Amino acid sequence: MITNGSLLAMRDIRVHFPITKGLFLRRHVGVVRAVDGVDLEVRAGQSVGLVGESGSGKTTLGRAVVALTRPTGGTITFDGRDVWSLDRDEQTKLRRRVQMVFQDPHASLDPRMTVAASISEPLEIHHLGSRSDRKRRVGELLELVGLHPSHGGRYPHELSGGQRQRVGVARALSLGPELIVADEPVSALDVSIQAQIVNLLQKLRRELGLTSILIAHDLAVVRQVSDAIAVMYLGRIVEWANAQDLYREPLHPYTVALLSAVPIPDPVIEATRERIVLRGDVPSPASPPPGCAFHTRCWLRDKLGNPERCSAETPALRTLRSGHLVACHFAEDGREAEARIDPESRSSEPS
Amino acid sequence: MSSTTPSANERPLLDVHDLRVRFTLLDGTVFAVNGVSLHLERGETLGLVGESGSGKSVTSLALMRLLPPQPAANVSGEIVFDGRDLASLPERQMRAMRGRDLAMVFQDPMTSLNPVLRIGEQIEETIRAHRDVDGATAKARAAELLRLVGIADPERQLERYPHEFSGGMRQRVMIAMALALEPKLLIADEPTTALDVTIQAQVLELLKKLTTERGTAVILITHDLGVVARMTRRVAVMYAGKIVESAPTADLFASPTHPYTVGLLHSVPRLEGEVGLLRPIEGSPPDLRTEPTGCPFAPRCAWRLDVCWGRMPDLDPVAAGDGDHRVACHNPVTPGEVGLARPDRDGFEPAPAPSAVA
Repeated sequence: MITNGSLLAMRDIRVHFPITKGLFLRRHVGVVRAVDGVDLEVRAGQSVGLVGESGSGKTTLGRAVVALTRPTGGTITFDGRDVWSLDRDEQTKLRRRVQMVFQDPHASLDPRMTVAASISEPLEIHHLGSRSDRKRRVGELLELVGLHPSHGGRYPHELSGGQRQRVGVARALSLGPELIVADEPVSALDVSIQAQIVNLLQKLRRELGLTSILIAHDLAVVRQVSDAIAVMYLGRIVEWANAQDLYREPLHPYTVALLSAVPIPDPVIEATRERIVLRGDVPSPASPPPGCAFHTRCWLRDKLGNPERCSAETPALRTLRSGHLVACHFAEDGREAEARIDPESRSSEPS
Repeated sequence: MSSTTPSANERPLLDVHDLRVRFTLLDGTVFAVNGVSLHLERGETLGLVGESGSGKSVTSLALMRLLPPQPAANVSGEIVFDGRDLASLPERQMRAMRGRDLAMVFQDPMTSLNPVLRIGEQIEETIRAHRDVDGATAKARAAELLRLVGIADPERQLERYPHEFSGGMRQRVMIAMALALEPKLLIADEPTTALDVTIQAQVLELLKKLTTERGTAVILITHDLGVVARMTRRVAVMYAGKIVESAPTADLFASPTHPYTVGLLHSVPRLEGEVGLLRPIEGSPPDLRTEPTGCPFAPRCAWRLDVCWGRMPDLDPVAAGDGDHRVACHNPVTPGEVGLARPDRDGFEPAPAPSAVA
């Protein structure tokens, strides 16, 4: 996955949060390994999807990209420069080039600021343009995200959820960033509104040539906007592939199960399709299982008769096919095992 | 298969007629449910689909009689459950039925479980409120229920508090409590929306298995058309407090007829097929603080006629003689238009709003 000429390169990123006890004498009693050794490259113009369930570390990784969270290990290089070794001035300049869209536009917009003020605030902070320039820029941005100029004078509570998220996008675009990190930008929205925002993201990508990282739990949404997808589980990337390959031929047993768990809005498909239902919950990132973190829930490991290697050795992300990387010792056996899996461990209920 | 006009000897388990709910606020009225009629056979699973504000949750709370009393909430209509009109039942009798005959699972198990009571106490309380059993029996039954919903080592888990459980486990506990007294009807309001997709798959499977085994009828409230496709036999689509289309699940997906249903199906990104541009429904959901006149979907509808602005259509059979598939639309989508997601008729333009004409 590491190539030259990428806009963003993350190498062995770790973000560990200490768990402390006691109010005054804070003792360290453990560590949450939110992100635990991630390598990721994003080329200019590429749209990368980061998928995973709660606790997979996708949000923490996204925050590390926009420098909201300082990694406890590893390096982040943006446009060839190590982000955390820059001086303050240069870091400020860099922040202009990387912006974030948050999940809940209700919480991320200041309720006492008008829409126009929210959108132009980043411009003021970075001392860009004159007052009239900024005003013009706000007008352009509102139009770009599909809002009416009159929305500029409104307050967040006067807008619908979809309109608020459009403001969140406009605000992130105000500085003309090269990279946008969008963290669950549509998960708080209703289906009919969600589609409007997904289309907006697609349009911006096409028209502005933006590089983007989309963080989402919804695999169908990610498929809609991403070229390449990283699947995360307990702080690590377990599979990386271009979008088409990942959905057509998932290679990690976790990805296979994840895709099979998503309900498809078609009763004909649902009635005949086979599902792999994983047992148990995602383990806590404070005490991830040894070896492969997925081994406690892995259906493939069951099929293979619980090989010791899964619980003893952490699988590295390796190239199985061109551009398709998997962190599983037995991914080659997966396709085959999946094909001849016995019916008991699967459920398919014709309704 | 269900029929809309049941014969006298086999009445449906639940028959709701013209349910209306209005909330009185300091600064006006919210028209939350505006004439919902639906029915449910014994053991049947009905999906109630809609977006925020469509009235699906308020409908379910009205069925359970869990809305605030007058004058805060104004409920009218008939709710005939198992031969009795719940709407006119004294609260004491209703209380005896809740949990025993009809039970509910809510979206967020963290807020519906009591954080300061052990899991065991909460399940036992449910059992002992309705059954005359001693503590040991209730406890044994509680442990049995936990085992039934797939929680390992139930005796020990009964001693724990809700915060010690994961989201999926808490929802399993809620299902265990709801099914503790073997109700005839289970209302599940977005039961898996707060859960991760692999946990959702577990919980849906559990719900399906347990309700099928016991012949429990289910009203499954959800915004997720995938969940509807997986879980239900019949589905009712709600918009602005009205049912706009109802059909056997297979029919609804194969030949949707209401413009809103068609729009909804085109809005959902897919896991299969070609990736194209989604075709969202333009505009925003209606403001429920004004009394609906005409079809509430008209402002967002590409099929609207002049009549749509002024008169709400009835929920009528799509084809004469087919009482199962019903739609409330003056100008339904034709089969050829479903894939296009727009009207395909020469020179057709959506009727302008009356104010724009004047």
